[in-house]
Amino acid sequence: MALTALIVLPLLGGIAALFLQRFGRDAERWFSIAVLAAALVALVVAWVGAPPEDAPGPQWLAMVRYQYAPALGLQFLLAMDGLSAALVAVSLALGIVSVIISWNIRKDSGLFHACLLWTVAASNGVFLAMDLLFFAFFWELMLVPSFLLISIWGHGDREAVALKFLVFNAVAGLGLLAAVFWMAATAPEITFDAFVFAEMGIPPVAQVWLLLGFSLAFLTKLPAPPLHAWLPDAHTMAPTAGSILLAGLLLKTGAYGLFRFPGMLFPDGFHVLAPYGLALGAFGTIYGAVLACGQTDAKRLVAYTSIAHMSIVLMGLAGGVHFAMMGAGVEMIAHAFSASALFLLIGALYDRTGTRDLRELGGLQQTAPRFAAAFAVFFSAALAMPGTANFLGEALVITGMFQVNWVLAAVALVSLVVSVVYATRLLKRIVFGAPIRACVVQDLTWSELGPIVVLATGTLLFGLLPQLLLVVLEPAVDAALAPLARP
Amino acid sequence: MLTPFLALLLVPAPAMGAFLLLGLGPAELNRRAVQTVALVGAVLPAVVMLPLGAYCLMGTCDGIQPIFDLTVGDAVVALALKLDPLSAIVGVTVTLIGACVIGYSIDYMAKAEVPDLRRYFALMNLFLASMLCMVLAGDSIVLFLGWELMGLCSFFLIAYHVTSSRAIAAGRKAFVITRVADAFLLAALLLLFLEAGNVRLDALIPAGIAADELRQGLIAALILAGALGKSAQLPFHTWLPSAMAGPTPVSALLHSATMVAAGAFLLARFAPLMQAVPLVMALTAVLGAATALFGAASAVFQKDVKRLLAYSSISQIGFMLLALGLGEPEVAIAHFVVHAIFKSLLFLSAGDITQIARGTTDISAMRGALWSRPLAFVAFAAGAASLAGIPLVTAGWFSKEAILAAAWLAGPFGVVLWLVAMTAAVLTATYAFRPVFTGLTRIGRPRPSLGGIFTNLPIALLAVATFAVAPLVEPIMEFLGGAAPHPPHAVELVGAAAPFLGIALAAALTFVPGLSLRVARARRMRSGIRIDGIYQVIIVQPFVKMVRWLTGQRGGIADPVGSIPVLVAQRLTAAAIRPLAHDPLDRGWMGLGAGMVRAWGAGRRIQSGRVRDYALALALGLALLLLIAWGTTWR
Repeated sequence: MALTALIVLPLLGGIAALFLQRFGRDAERWFSIAVLAAALVALVVAWVGAPPEDAPGPQWLAMVRYQYAPALGLQFLLAMDGLSAALVAVSLALGIVSVIISWNIRKDSGLFHACLLWTVAASNGVFLAMDLLFFAFFWELMLVPSFLLISIWGHGDREAVALKFLVFNAVAGLGLLAAVFWMAATAPEITFDAFVFAEMGIPPVAQVWLLLGFSLAFLTKLPAPPLHAWLPDAHTMAPTAGSILLAGLLLKTGAYGLFRFPGMLFPDGFHVLAPYGLALGAFGTIYGAVLACGQTDAKRLVAYTSIAHMSIVLMGLAGGVHFAMMGAGVEMIAHAFSASALFLLIGALYDRTGTRDLRELGGLQQTAPRFAAAFAVFFSAALAMPGTANFLGEALVITGMFQVNWVLAAVALVSLVVSVVYATRLLKRIVFGAPIRACVVQDLTWSELGPIVVLATGTLLFGLLPQLLLVVLEPAVDAALAPLARP
Repeated sequence: MLTPFLALLLVPAPAMGAFLLLGLGPAELNRRAVQTVALVGAVLPAVVMLPLGAYCLMGTCDGIQPIFDLTVGDAVVALALKLDPLSAIVGVTVTLIGACVIGYSIDYMAKAEVPDLRRYFALMNLFLASMLCMVLAGDSIVLFLGWELMGLCSFFLIAYHVTSSRAIAAGRKAFVITRVADAFLLAALLLLFLEAGNVRLDALIPAGIAADELRQGLIAALILAGALGKSAQLPFHTWLPSAMAGPTPVSALLHSATMVAAGAFLLARFAPLMQAVPLVMALTAVLGAATALFGAASAVFQKDVKRLLAYSSISQIGFMLLALGLGEPEVAIAHFVVHAIFKSLLFLSAGDITQIARGTTDISAMRGALWSRPLAFVAFAAGAASLAGIPLVTAGWFSKEAILAAAWLAGPFGVVLWLVAMTAAVLTATYAFRPVFTGLTRIGRPRPSLGGIFTNLPIALLAVATFAVAPLVEPIMEFLGGAAPHPPHAVELVGAAAPFLGIALAAALTFVPGLSLRVARARRMRSGIRIDGIYQVIIVQPFVKMVRWLTGQRGGIADPVGSIPVLVAQRLTAAAIRPLAHDPLDRGWMGLGAGMVRAWGAGRRIQSGRVRDYALALALGLALLLLIAWGTTWR
């Protein structure tokens, strides 16, 4: 039941938030926080509860199975393992952060909070659903509130950018949908149950095509070049909360899909396509990092670093070895924290100065020391300083790459070096230098500092005490790799 | 379990605590509170480390203090701190130098604003903590943590003057170049981890030695590359002279005495593994000797005292690498200790003298220092004497002589290295004494002055130490498990004569006007034979060009990999849609209508109103009917 609440609470909460606006100032904000907090409680309940008896493997921590439309073979099937649990926890936490930092949004505040909650609900659905039709449903559902967030509360050329985001992801989603329907149609009796598909023994050639279909959707969301063109625009034009949810949740759904399904459903297809995935990841991590070095818009810079880091995740997932997979899992969580925090900081700066142009910023060290310190912390995370969770993730991926192919490890190390170039550039242009123009800004307020402290704690805690995260991820990784072992 | 090694955890802890307190503490801390916190955080590690060192001397010098264990799959990641002769000696040196330099900073940085001061001390304490973590590390994770955090602190401290674009550029340059080296080291440590399935240094080194030849060679080469980068050795040296843009105490602690020399410590730490690969050892020795000579020669031509000392650090660490490459890590570490003392002394006293001279760090600022700032000048001269290696009295002589001896004793290949190193030693005395002789010239009628206690106490302590350590150099080598090599007496005599030759040269360069002018004009040598420029041309500029091209700042398409598919898709869609734009089905219906109208226009002509036409039509119709009837019945 608790698992269902993780999706249903924010979904219904969003509808309620639409109407709460008239019941007093900020009612919808407090209500959204309450809903997300209640969902966090539900997550804890689901997590600590007894493991399900009918689970197909020991890695599943909780499961819900409900015959939704038996005639169509449609079940409401949710299952949570360590990775899903961690990602759901991150999504709820980032949801709360988004509400807090959007306190000064006045335009259609009810709809805004509804969109936030629906994004969280849909991404939770993606992280939990094991019935593939529901998975695909949540996958597409996620796009709608994000589209609204960008097109209503965004900056600049927001409508065109929102459309670009929608078109890219909706078209790519067709690959997923087509593959799911093909599998349902070829199953002995109609079903969308992923566990049944895993047992079904799909012919190897079909596996390749199906995995291609899945990957189209996942790689676009990740995003891996050349499917990434929507991301820099969407990140730049989205409101701060939208950028946080994009970086923290939407990108992670792509990585999650690549983590969960290729090994489970298409082990033979995985072996065929993994080298291309590795190559794509290796290319993306350098390409994203190099492009980040040349951006003049602070948010765009961070967006390109997201491409670089998510490409590292892709390398880890395509490596098919234990260390790399663990590293990918850790990097997903770490990047959710660090990228969100950077978007938050840049958003806060934009609210004060009205510009994100690196050439017009500077001097925060002298005018706003707390701001500068926060930048310094997440600067360290962006360049994977040991002690941050980002380092743990990248080091594990590189370790795995040494087992797969040394060239790939070398590429990942090069990307580590380039990360210094763009990270120091960000710092140089924003924090250092003489204060120019309107950069004599108010320092971080407590409502901004609170989320920052939470995100910094997450980054450093998992960096310094990695066992906390590794224990949670390990069973999921083992289970994901088990079908890949060649006889 | 309670062991004396538990105290190891307490060594970096105070410095870390001071960093956290300064970084996260209440905003109301005043200047005095900031200074007190920083000083306590810097002195306490020494207070803890000294008894540990003494305990180590008494015989029990091999201990591990576990921190916590991780498991990743089958691998055990056991974090630990380690006390052995190497970490004890280096740990004691680092804590003492750290305490001296941070104490000195209290006076030196007295004019800084409180928030800047706070940032400065927070970073200095963080640096001290991370250096100690690296030195005391018992596993590769803590080692790399300390190693990288040092680089981070170095970046922020070089860029301490945040409004100076020169300082920021220097910081970025230092960070990027050392990061390249760090990537090499990380690769080496990860490869060792895969070999051993463990991160304890005690397990990594044997595993590295047991690895197959290719891997072993690769790992050793990667470790060497890591050390070269951090220690600013050829060909990575270019960042160090620029790094002098930071405040002088930063240069004293990070960019000469401790962090930069960490490469030598790293190679000593992995010495058994390195010695298993003769080729890499030979490379270490050759690069070390080459850097020693290059650094010394460049230092002779510097106009700026801090840059002179920076090239001196490059050269001296070259000596350490030479010893390491010759298989004498004990000698190298003894030189590490001695160098840390006299180099921090030189920086601190030079900083004191030049600060009086209104902040310029040009050598001319040293002029008349003997009379205007006597104590600091005498201390500087003591440091220079040790750097030059004045025989018998200075510590520098004992450690450098041991390195030269090791080279001499290493066979014919070693004699070549000995010659190179000996030339470097002569030049060392030359550049060391140029500022000293400049300080002797008297200008005007200067009034002698003294700095505060926080300036003079560290300087005095270090000055005494340069001489006091002299008799301890050989015991240090023995404590580390080696022995001081002794060449034939004639060779030792040549070594003893070298500093005096160098000093004579320095006197000539300072006091003979023609020569000093020529030195001042030698721009190519001053810029370190322009290796920086070569890097600009072959790495930096192409990278910048590539970035500008990829981001569309040079007229191309921004983000080509992402946008070209989009453009192609847009074109294709447009081409597919254009014919459909006016809805072909709709056109079909419209066409039908138009056809009907046209048909009607043609059809109306039949109805002409003339009887003959109708009669003709009637006849024709009848004929047709008859024809049909006939046709059907005929069959």
